Amino acid sequence: MYAGHYAAGLAIKAKQPAAPTWALLLGVGLLDVLFGIFVMLGIERVSVTPGISPGFSLDFIDWSHSLAMSIVWAALFASFFWRRGRVIALATGFAVFSHFLLDWPMHPGDLALWPHSSIHIGLGLWRSLPIGWWWIELGCIAAGCTYYVVRARRLGTFGGRALWACAVVVLLHVVNSPWLAVAK
Amino acid sequence: MSSFGFGLLCLISFTLPVPILAWLDRARRKR
Repeated sequence: MYAGHYAAGLAIKAKQPAAPTWALLLGVGLLDVLFGIFVMLGIERVSVTPGISPGFSLDFIDWSHSLAMSIVWAALFASFFWRRGRVIALATGFAVFSHFLLDWPMHPGDLALWPHSSIHIGLGLWRSLPIGWWWIELGCIAAGCTYYVVRARRLGTFGGRALWACAVVVLLHVVNSPWLAVAK
Repeated sequence: MSSFGFGLLCLISFTLPVPILAWLDRARRKR
């Protein structure tokens, strides 16, 4: 999942408007930021699989994406916001952990329970529904963005350009589609 | 695409939209 994480971030913002937007948006993508760094350092492994959805195989992502490490990264990230209050810390921590929750249906059994665990989970919609996953993620985006826009209009303390923010998320989803993605 | 390139693409993809979306989220000033 890619753009769906940002929709989740906007939805968390709508639920907890006092939380800093940048922290929530960085939080929802933190596991993949770490993944990118770890891959460049050779700590984690990925291989490109042209013609096999989603176009790449995540061969070893235990340090960034395992269940246990997701909780660790979430707690660590939340600790930076503890001084702003428990509610904001929990919101930022949940933003990080939401990444694991949303990746689980998409990933084809490459999410370890902990680093080097023999047990890997993932529903695998990327593989079983090579096109359908994109529409399912679009549904998640629609739900998250609708909640964000409705709350933004009701409260008026955030989402000054809520529709434009949602348009950017949809654009990111289009760019990441099975038809346009760089790795496909 | 190399693994390094994939990692870099992932890193950029998950950082670049953050300031854009955060800016769009800012409340408009009331006149």
